[in-house]
Amino acid sequence: MKVKEICEKLGLNVHVQGDLDKEVHQGVVGDLLSFIMRTAPEGAVWVTIQNHVNVAAVAVLKDIPFIVLASGREPLQELIDSCRKENITLTSSKEDAFNLCGKLYELGIKD
Amino acid sequence: MSEPLVLELEVKPLDFLAAGETATQFKETLKSLGLPPEICRRAAIVVYEAEMNIVIHGGGGVMRLQVEEDKVTIMAEDEGPGIEDLELAMQEGYSSAPDFIREMGFGAGMGLPNIKRNANELYIDTAPGKGTKLRAVIYLNKGR
Ligand SMILES: Nc1ncnc2c1ncn2[C@@H]1O[C@H](COP(=O)(O)OP(=O)(O)O)[C@@H](O)[C@H]1O
Ligand SMILES: [Mg+2]
Repeated sequence: MKVKEICEKLGLNVHVQGDLDKEVHQGVVGDLLSFIMRTAPEGAVWVTIQNHVNVAAVAVLKDIPFIVLASGREPLQELIDSCRKENITLTSSKEDAFNLCGKLYELGIKD
Repeated sequence: MSEPLVLELEVKPLDFLAAGETATQFKETLKSLGLPPEICRRAAIVVYEAEMNIVIHGGGGVMRLQVEEDKVTIMAEDEGPGIEDLELAMQEGYSSAPDFIREMGFGAGMGLPNIKRNANELYIDTAPGKGTKLRAVIYLNKGR
């Protein structure tokens, strides 16, 4: 499913538009950066409550094109700037990571 | 490639805004050299974790990337406190990171284990008060 369709279906606030036509089939959830470094599949959507610029660094290194900040976190300006520079779609939602992942799963993001 | 390509960058202590920049630059370099994506990904993990350790634990230092025909070598050097018990530090889950750093998602105690999994060879030269020198080698024609 395309990034923009996921954004619409989950009602995400889009702070940075990366490649909205990019197809995403996998996801990863977590707040421990080394854990994400180890386990994130390439091209995945990443659901996290971490809200600082290193989130963008990890996304770049793991080829993650799409970040969802959960539980009502509003992204810090440095994170927004970094995602813009790296062409990463940065979004946020009031919902918590559990519910977001459930909805992603229902959309077919299952791995 | 006869002469090895060498890239050296300074890493500042506790500079979380810049943290990850060395890894990003090194990965870009490897990609632009046309190295296989799998090698780039493994190298990125090694550089990132070594860089974060310099930022968080090492009090700043230097990172070096060396690319030769058959291998990529990543070196991280600092003159920080050093590691007292390396065997303990290598254990999954062990971390001496303070709470404020853990709250940012660092300090999972997975950094050195992540480096070990992704490098073919890992050498760490460290002693209390003497700083830490890490060297990780990834061979282009070997798997993990
Ligand atoms: N460059 C370094 N200088 C001093 N201590 C270090 C360094 N790198 C690692 N360590 C020690 O080894 C421990 C484990 O490192 P690591 O596996 O990367 O986990 P983490 O960084 O999440 O704590 C650290 O908590 C720290 O005590
Ligand atoms: Mg570490």
